[in-house]
Amino acid sequence: MNVLAATWLLTARALRESVRQPANEVANAFIPLFFYVVTVGAIGSVAQNAFGVADYKGFQLPVAILQGAAGVASGAGLAMTLDIQSGYFEKLALTSTPRLAIVLGRMLADAIKAVILAGAIIVLALLYGSEFKTGVPGMAVLMAATFGFALAYSGIGVAIALKTGSPQAAQAGFIVFFPLLFLAPTFAPIEVFAAWLEAIARANPVTYILLGMRSLVTEGWDAAALAKGGVAVLAIGAVTLTLTLLALRSRVRQ
Amino acid sequence: MLAIEATGLTKHFGPEIRAVDGIDLRVEAGQIFGFLGQNGSGKTTTVRMLTTLLRPTAGTARVAGVDVLANPAEVRRRVGVALQEVGLDELQTGRELLTLQGRLFGLPAKEAREVAARLLEVVTLTEAADRPIRGYSGGMKRRLDLACALVHGPEIVFLDEPTTGLDPVTRDAVWQYVLELNRERGVTFFLTTQYLEEADRLADTVAIMDRGRIVAEGSPAELKATIGTDVVTLTFGSEADAGRAAAALNLFEGVQRVLTAGSEVAVYLPNGAAAVAAIVRLLDEAGAPARTLVLKQPTLDDVFLRATGHHLDDGSPRAAEAAAPGGTR
Ligand SMILES: Nc1ncnc2c1ncn2[C@@H]1O[C@H](COP(=O)(O)OP(=O)(O)O)[C@@H](O)[C@H]1O
Ligand SMILES: [Mg+2]
Repeated sequence: MNVLAATWLLTARALRESVRQPANEVANAFIPLFFYVVTVGAIGSVAQNAFGVADYKGFQLPVAILQGAAGVASGAGLAMTLDIQSGYFEKLALTSTPRLAIVLGRMLADAIKAVILAGAIIVLALLYGSEFKTGVPGMAVLMAATFGFALAYSGIGVAIALKTGSPQAAQAGFIVFFPLLFLAPTFAPIEVFAAWLEAIARANPVTYILLGMRSLVTEGWDAAALAKGGVAVLAIGAVTLTLTLLALRSRVRQ
Repeated sequence: MLAIEATGLTKHFGPEIRAVDGIDLRVEAGQIFGFLGQNGSGKTTTVRMLTTLLRPTAGTARVAGVDVLANPAEVRRRVGVALQEVGLDELQTGRELLTLQGRLFGLPAKEAREVAARLLEVVTLTEAADRPIRGYSGGMKRRLDLACALVHGPEIVFLDEPTTGLDPVTRDAVWQYVLELNRERGVTFFLTTQYLEEADRLADTVAIMDRGRIVAEGSPAELKATIGTDVVTLTFGSEADAGRAAAALNLFEGVQRVLTAGSEVAVYLPNGAAAVAAIVRLLDEAGAPARTLVLKQPTLDDVFLRATGHHLDDGSPRAAEAAAPGGTR
């Protein structure tokens, strides 16, 4: 059994699990949509005067998508700890499947769920009155970026899960990383930030993912912004995948 | 051909715990190998090393002719494993879990489905097959877990205490199936147990584990033959009485061996029936009258007692009965 085929089998299993426990996914969808509507409601009408953003609904759309993706991508780590505790992880590790597939299957399932959620958020935002400058091709690029981000982000929880086997640690570790989403031009353009926050935001890779995504919605095709966003996704992915592989090694080679 | 071969296999957890302390194993293909020992003697740790879940601290092991350290993936392809604790994903149905297991061992989709259906039949879970595992009883989960070990038709199967906690009917069914696979398909079994009866009934060869070491090994008949012919087991009101009785019995004519465990004394001698009356008189004279006296053929428990200096506290009905104050048999 090669890695890809096995990964896909385990992805299908993880997705089946979500269908059987829809409550998690409902919460994952509700939270970003709630914040989207509330933020737009609170700041939308003053955004033009305050910091020159005409379409605040479009400005916030990628925030909702990233927030949704990060929420969904916390699922893999938590699910992995449950598999470890139930002993099912060892049952899988005793098959002749490459062990990497056990991990990738979980991460891929999260990425797919994040893309579905992104699609739903885009549709609802359009109905709500947001613009989308690059149209359907831009939406496809945005969903591809969401896929990459969710895949990379889920690696954080999975690495912690493999290292500790503890659901509490997987969730706590995840919460530690959550602020990265807000140390970025989330609510306002980076130009209006206090100097200290601007410095942090410019060092935060999430900033570039957000700006790349936002350019698709509010500005049109901007190759430089997209390239920076792509590099940021790859950078986060490289770090989390490395941590995941190290954690997997230490778990299966006791 | 050797199905399992280990030399100096060792696992230490930190400097204190010598879970497995240098054991040698040679299991012929086609055998049922019983690995007998009480809780904490190192059975599970041995299984986990042989099935590539745990790296030995020292020593080497070959399973199905393949080195477990050099080529763990190939070992996993060749063996089936049911660990001591069931490991199931409760959100899947029994059929989904078994089918996925087969697929992950490389079976094509259609074959995996067929194998799952057949195994569900074998472990009598066909009716529950399409319900989530969450709703299964403990016995049903255990049976499904056993079926998982067999999806890929392994030549060697490791079962770690497969019948612990099972009701007698299910336990008999497991025994039956193990024997069937062994006799009809030549599957080699490495079966750990803390039940003497299980080792006696199923195993071609038994190894007795105690504190990380193998202290006796052979076929059940061979092991029992090393004890002598008959065993008279006596219990006393106190350990002091037992000690005095043991001293007296050591001098009794024809006695091959006297072992003491707490307030219990086991006397090994040929032709025990003829000696019982004399033994009772001797004990009265020694001022240590026996509370109970049982005469029996040697069992693996006697082998265990001699090899380890203590009884196998296995909690099985048989052991409970032997320990209860019963009459002379
Ligand atoms: N992961 C571990 N860390 C520390 N000690 C362990 C670990 N696994 C087993 N042990 C210890 O090793 C000894 C043997 O355990 P085990 O192999 O489970 O015995 P058995 O299966 O015969 O009951 C016990 O003392 C147990 O506490
Ligand atoms: Mg054990």
